[in-house]
Amino acid sequence: MSNSNQLVSALNGIVGEPNVIRDPDQLKAYAVDGLAPKAVVNPGSVEEVSRLLAYANSEKLAVVPRGNGTKMAAGGIPRKLDLVLSMLRINRITEHDIPNLSLSVEAGITLSEVQKKLAGTGRGSFLPLDPPYSEQATIGGIIATNSSGPRRYLYSTARDLLLGLKAVSPNGDVVAFGGKTVKNVSGYDMTKLMIGSWGALGVITEITTKLLPLPEASATLLASFGDLAKAGSLTRKILHSVLLPSAMELMDGKAAGQLGEKAKYLVAFSLEGVGEAVDRQVAEIEEAAKSEGALDTRVLKRGDDRTFWIRVRDFALSSAAPIILRTNVVISKLPEILGRYETMARDAGIGCALIGRAGNGILTSYIRDSGAAQTGPVADLIGKFADEAAKHEGNLIVESSPHELKERVSVWGRPRSDYVVMRRLKETVDPGGVLNPGRFVGGV
Amino acid sequence: MEKDSMVGELVRLVGRENVLSSDMHFKLYEYDASLIRSKPDCIVLPTSTEQVSKVVKFAHDHKIPVIARGAGTNLSGGSVTVRGGIAIVLTKMNQILDMDIENLRVVVEPGVITLDLKNVLAKHGYLYQPDPASEKVTTIGGNFAENSGGPHCLKYGVTSNHVLGVELVLYDGQVVQVGGRALDNPGYDLMGVLGGSEGTLGIVTQAVLRIMPKAEAVKTMLCIYNSIEDGGNTVTAIIGEGIIPATLEMMDNLTIKAVEEAYHVGFPTDAAAILIIELDGLKDGMERLTERILDICRQNNVREIRVAKDQAERDKIWAGRKGAFGAVGRLRPNYLVNDGTVPRTRLPETLAKVVEIGKKYNLPIANVFHAGDGNLHPLILFDERDKDELKRVHAAAMEIMKTCVEMGGTISGEHGIGVEKIEGMSLIFSASDIAAMKKVKAAFDPLNLFNPGKLLPETERAA
Repeated sequence: MSNSNQLVSALNGIVGEPNVIRDPDQLKAYAVDGLAPKAVVNPGSVEEVSRLLAYANSEKLAVVPRGNGTKMAAGGIPRKLDLVLSMLRINRITEHDIPNLSLSVEAGITLSEVQKKLAGTGRGSFLPLDPPYSEQATIGGIIATNSSGPRRYLYSTARDLLLGLKAVSPNGDVVAFGGKTVKNVSGYDMTKLMIGSWGALGVITEITTKLLPLPEASATLLASFGDLAKAGSLTRKILHSVLLPSAMELMDGKAAGQLGEKAKYLVAFSLEGVGEAVDRQVAEIEEAAKSEGALDTRVLKRGDDRTFWIRVRDFALSSAAPIILRTNVVISKLPEILGRYETMARDAGIGCALIGRAGNGILTSYIRDSGAAQTGPVADLIGKFADEAAKHEGNLIVESSPHELKERVSVWGRPRSDYVVMRRLKETVDPGGVLNPGRFVGGV
Repeated sequence: MEKDSMVGELVRLVGRENVLSSDMHFKLYEYDASLIRSKPDCIVLPTSTEQVSKVVKFAHDHKIPVIARGAGTNLSGGSVTVRGGIAIVLTKMNQILDMDIENLRVVVEPGVITLDLKNVLAKHGYLYQPDPASEKVTTIGGNFAENSGGPHCLKYGVTSNHVLGVELVLYDGQVVQVGGRALDNPGYDLMGVLGGSEGTLGIVTQAVLRIMPKAEAVKTMLCIYNSIEDGGNTVTAIIGEGIIPATLEMMDNLTIKAVEEAYHVGFPTDAAAILIIELDGLKDGMERLTERILDICRQNNVREIRVAKDQAERDKIWAGRKGAFGAVGRLRPNYLVNDGTVPRTRLPETLAKVVEIGKKYNLPIANVFHAGDGNLHPLILFDERDKDELKRVHAAAMEIMKTCVEMGGTISGEHGIGVEKIEGMSLIFSASDIAAMKKVKAAFDPLNLFNPGKLLPETERAA
């Protein structure tokens, strides 16, 4: 029997023939940076994931875990790719403890499905994460990539929400960390280590998270400015005030335009909570915006506000930007850096829309695809952006990019001194290089 | 290595004034706030990252265990040198290095006392949220190593949610930066696993903390109950109504009496339980929310409600809560505090079991708990000179841990595993889980020299 036949019969033996994709045409759709897998497997249980990884480990196969594939253009170019491990069949809600405000779900369910269930049960609750592509993105993918959205300003990110998780280690061991209590210091906090580990330390199979009651009221306020310094000044003022918006986004004219807003610079606020507090915050922020020199302020109509935030969240989809860069800097410098990026992109003649999380110091750049000829100039621009971020204790990662560009830039940004530990960690946990080899930080 | 030559070398590395090696000093540093005792071979008090790095490198080269220590308030034996070696006491590294208010960060050395920092921040109108009851004496380094909680973590999260970066000395003396002032640095969330790692992965020599503007309004309520079940049910009902206050703290009668005798804060000594509920945030809507909460209290047979009128009244209530361990400590020569945590809805049941366990082993148990978090602190009172009683204390503590696990909870919410609960690890983790944790340990500390004998059981027993 050839190696290939052995592989197929082993995979069929674990997940059953209907759950193994071998057709070359179909496999193309699962390629990562042009590299197609030998097979796609769709396990139906944690036990099958465990057996698949144990098999891959013994056969030195490279495995890429996958949900709905919304982030497959992210990460370094894989060193090797044998199997794509689809988690879509492992998708149950395993426990919804309403009085305790906690939820356990498996990796393959989409966030949107979870939110629908939560909103319609009991008094209504939600999982306070609003990452990009949340109609399609699976819980496993969101957690493995620590994906977040505008409302992280108030609700923070997965690391502050998750209570525990279950995963399968690269050697096939099934492991469980944390639990369902809101406080837990028993053993290492492996849950946090797994969040954002890009499937390189284990395949997340289930998570347990805190929930929040649905807010009583919400509103969205937009303030447009002709001058960046003034817009920046408004965000700074709110950041240091007693007010608590759930989102505060600062964007350039290109981004605003694509959202259908006419403004040179736009600051968008989301307010959520008890009715009285929402009303007062809208009034006070509106007043602050005017005193900072806003050209216009507007409260969005119910319905429009929801659409607006979905479009901000899923900006990559509507803008058809295949290159997405994510810069992190100290909070206070965000407006200034947005301005620098705007100038640099303009000088380079590259179309780039900018959206900044003004309360968190995260700036996302969306660059339009202008074909292979632009690869060089775009790579140069990314280098300049990264230099600017480094001046403010930040870094720049390439969140989505065509393959050609990845060969010319450092996808995970400038190396940091703690990479020495990260490399050792990957070598210790996954000595065979089974999971996502080459795709994460430092080529691990 | 000979003790004398070790001391000589360390003196050369950090200066005579920063090395302690007399019997009296060994006695002073042989304990923490747990029952565990063991003398270090040498004590150093470095004054800089460079000195810490040199000491760690020296220890690495000679395979000597090292243990970082702050104020020594650890409740699980985490700061005791159970395998001897060098105690690196970080209390001289106690400077606030940068008040970076503009970026909502402060950078501090590990020996900064938590409350000192908060007092400095308060002058600027800002707040560092974690508030362990021992904040008057504990250090930031210790808080991070143990991932300390506190009443307000119900709303704001525990220490590791507020420490965003550290300067870390690795096992071979190398110094690295993990995390930082900016969020979302690329790579594994090493900060996540360092928080609560009990000094077993590295030594923190600087920390970047998240601060936030002080809340506009605070409302503190003291709710008095004739039955502890009613208090517990109130907690469940408040959360069930979709209200998450800043704190939901509870105390039982034994604790109330001890606190009142010690501090005279005005707690009614005949009450079965009191609940301290605090709301914070914007003033708008707070009155309405308060009314909703008080309604829930009434539905659950509250006897009396006192709403603090001003800061002085608030301080008095909190002085009673934060002094609870100390006050209970006056009742008998020793106490052992359990730290089990359960899903908050299981609190009333768990509490009833704790009372039963106290009766079964004939031990007085005072209860203080972070009710909103489901985090219990049964304080088992005893006299360690009575060997039979001591045996019963350990048996009762194990049984309480088991009860918490059976309720779907865990063995430690905020005090750590240390030595004291190491036997309990197999109650919640499988051999594979512990093996995975050991890989993390091996990646950070391949020679097992950072705080050996803590947190991870040596043998992997299945649950």
